[in-house]
Amino acid sequence: MMLQMVLRRIAIGIATILVVSVIVFVMTRLLPGDVAQIILGQGATPETLAVLRKELGLDQPGYIQYFIWLGDLFTGDLGISKAGGATISSLIGGRFGNTMLLAGLVALISIPISIVLGLWAAMHPGSWLDRIITFGTLSTISVPEFFIATIMVLIFAVELHWLPSTAMLADNMSFLELLRGLAMPIITLVIVVSAQMIRMTRAGILNVMSSPYIEMAILKGVPRGRIILRHAFLNAIGPIINVIALNLAYLVSGVVVVETIFAYPGLAKLMIDGVQTRDLPLVQACAMIFCTTYVLLILVADIGSIVSNPRLRHPK
Amino acid sequence: MKDKIKPRHTPGELRYTDLTAYDKGLVERAVRSGHSRRDVLKLMAVTGVSMATAQNLLSTGGEAMAQTPKKGGSVRMASNLHGPDDQLDPPLMTSTIDYTRSRVLYNSLLQHADDLTPQPELAETCEPNADATEWTMKLRQGVVFHDGTPFTADDVVYSMNRHIAEDSKSVIKSVLESVQEFKKVGPHEVVAVLKNPNADLPTLLGLFQTKIVKNGTTGDGIGTGPFTLESFEPGVKSTHLRNENYWREGANLDALEITAITDPVARVNALIAGDAQLVTQIDPNAFRQIEEADGVTLLSTPAGLQMGICCLRNTEPGSNDDFVMGMKYIQDRERIVNRILKGKGTLGNDHPVSTAHGADYCSELPIREFDPDKAKFHFEKSGYKSAELYVAPVMSGIEDACLLAQANCAKIGFDLKLKKVPTDGYWGAVWMKEPVNVVSWNMRPTANSQMAIQFAPGAAWNDTFWNNDRVGELLTLALAELDPAKRHAMYCETQELIHNGSGMVIPAFSNINDGIASNIMGMPKVPLGQLGGCEWPEFIWLA
Repeated sequence: MMLQMVLRRIAIGIATILVVSVIVFVMTRLLPGDVAQIILGQGATPETLAVLRKELGLDQPGYIQYFIWLGDLFTGDLGISKAGGATISSLIGGRFGNTMLLAGLVALISIPISIVLGLWAAMHPGSWLDRIITFGTLSTISVPEFFIATIMVLIFAVELHWLPSTAMLADNMSFLELLRGLAMPIITLVIVVSAQMIRMTRAGILNVMSSPYIEMAILKGVPRGRIILRHAFLNAIGPIINVIALNLAYLVSGVVVVETIFAYPGLAKLMIDGVQTRDLPLVQACAMIFCTTYVLLILVADIGSIVSNPRLRHPK
Repeated sequence: MKDKIKPRHTPGELRYTDLTAYDKGLVERAVRSGHSRRDVLKLMAVTGVSMATAQNLLSTGGEAMAQTPKKGGSVRMASNLHGPDDQLDPPLMTSTIDYTRSRVLYNSLLQHADDLTPQPELAETCEPNADATEWTMKLRQGVVFHDGTPFTADDVVYSMNRHIAEDSKSVIKSVLESVQEFKKVGPHEVVAVLKNPNADLPTLLGLFQTKIVKNGTTGDGIGTGPFTLESFEPGVKSTHLRNENYWREGANLDALEITAITDPVARVNALIAGDAQLVTQIDPNAFRQIEEADGVTLLSTPAGLQMGICCLRNTEPGSNDDFVMGMKYIQDRERIVNRILKGKGTLGNDHPVSTAHGADYCSELPIREFDPDKAKFHFEKSGYKSAELYVAPVMSGIEDACLLAQANCAKIGFDLKLKKVPTDGYWGAVWMKEPVNVVSWNMRPTANSQMAIQFAPGAAWNDTFWNNDRVGELLTLALAELDPAKRHAMYCETQELIHNGSGMVIPAFSNINDGIASNIMGMPKVPLGQLGGCEWPEFIWLA
């Protein structure tokens, strides 16, 4: 029964990916100007445009271009960047590693912090610490990330000269140098993603706390800490995992602002560059990676909630 | 350029160090104001200084000002734009970061000095025949590519003919249209055979895209340039090491990193925090921040970076002469230069030639005044009560200039609507298509090419669709004219025709504004691109 449910989720995931690929393909073609026009820019003439279009295979019908690309994708060939002439896998390769490094470090720091702080706030609702956490998270959710990032650069790089203003990586960096270089983007992102996760943890647990079985436990005299950890947390974990999954997906695909401000060569920035240069294979490849990441993470979150919740594990 | 100014000293003559502070200032200003060496010598001759003394003053003065360049150190340059389309193939280069890398890795046949006079580079000489239809170039001998291959005429013929081939994708294909072919005459001699005379050919041979690659290659980074390629990742960065076998005295820096920071605020912050030593494209809003910060300098080079509004003459409302005149008179040029460009710009006179073009700029033609009454008269006569102007941030300040024009139009009862569109895709979707739109043009090296590219009849980028046969005739005649006075008269007539007749409104030219660390010395000032025309890698040194 559970296996059937999981398989159904996976099937839905694959269908989602295919639908997204069609949407991305159609949407990118709706952008004004094609690759040839963007490459030549202000210097384009009809003559040079025609030569370049032919060379790039842009004179073929759209649906043929789509199926050729989809076929290549399944065989692991992401194609060749139309703008630079390099293979897409080589363009994406290093960037993907960078994005995963940043996302991984941020997740490593923010998830434990968020759960601990969320639990703490839920254990002592109305306390001073709870109020500080609630107020702090509300503020950081309301402030845009570029603002946090820019303020941090002004303080720690421009004024104090403690940290570099940009997160430029070099091949021969030691781990400590790497951490120093990445400190500001990591702190910015931890602030941004933790706020949501803390609030969700707190709200999820407090929600469960008002249910009858918790009241029963309280009446039986079970200590509050034990109620939360043993009875409430496991029941609230479904939505918490989902928020964590969404935030992780955001860290992989949505941190373009932070990547831009810190000049960090990540995947999201590559996709924006791809849109600007009308590099359709590149944009599609990035979109597929993002889409797959979302689908995978949400799949994991769903399976996690099913496993942790007996009612979902044994549906009527 | 550097190897041209060799210190020479005649014993017993006056030296730079012997001068009073005031006279030192004069010499220094003369040298630094971008006058060519010959101009300064002439100036001194007029003031009664003997030729030998003048020579002495200049060379010892140059010496004292330049001090001794120090070897060593490395810098990081952050451009404003990069992406997966970053190129190492010169003919396809379109951005500052590409141009800089081309300067690092390759050489051209000729090179631009700060005053745009052509200087020898890989070609030691470049001599025309009597009617400027054949230019013979003697190539430098003993030059080797980074991989040790000797440089010969074959490399030149291959590299240059790529631009003019039938199926060429070169960005400057149309610029080199007048060239029939580049022919090898000897192992180190090449001749450019022209279809029609072109006195400007030497200047064109110094363009960013005319770098010489190895015969048969398409830009693999192996050139004859002052640095070698260590690593290159498009859209991320490239790193370079000094070429120890360089044919000139060689670069001062040990290593370079070339990257981009696309966010303007982050770019300025990186400069001030010391994470980048050279950054391009400083927004006027950041001028004060840089001027007040320690250890960094704002580098503002007067250039012909054109801020323009195109009124298409083949469609309404631009087909109406009075509408165009109204648009020209409503421009508050002084205010645009002083307030919007914060003084880092020059007045435009509705033609594309700026003072940065030197002698070919027509200073006799008075700048069109801001005159709301005349604008009102022309708008009323045109019968239009409103118009729609397409605005994209194609250069800094252009949106503000349009807002200013809108406000001034409102005062005289004309409704200038601004339609804001993104820069992304602008050149394909809006420019040369919508009836009234903004444009920016980078400075071209000669007044002739600057005017020809937009205003010669049948030009591919005639972005106001204005055709005037006399303009075409003058541009062709001037190219074959070797008498400077006659040339100037011809260019003046051309500029006046465009000033009055075309649909191009050019209220101002922007300076090129970059930021550098204050300890960078020997910065070139070629006005053709960011950071001294991208000429810096070979010449700068760290104090």
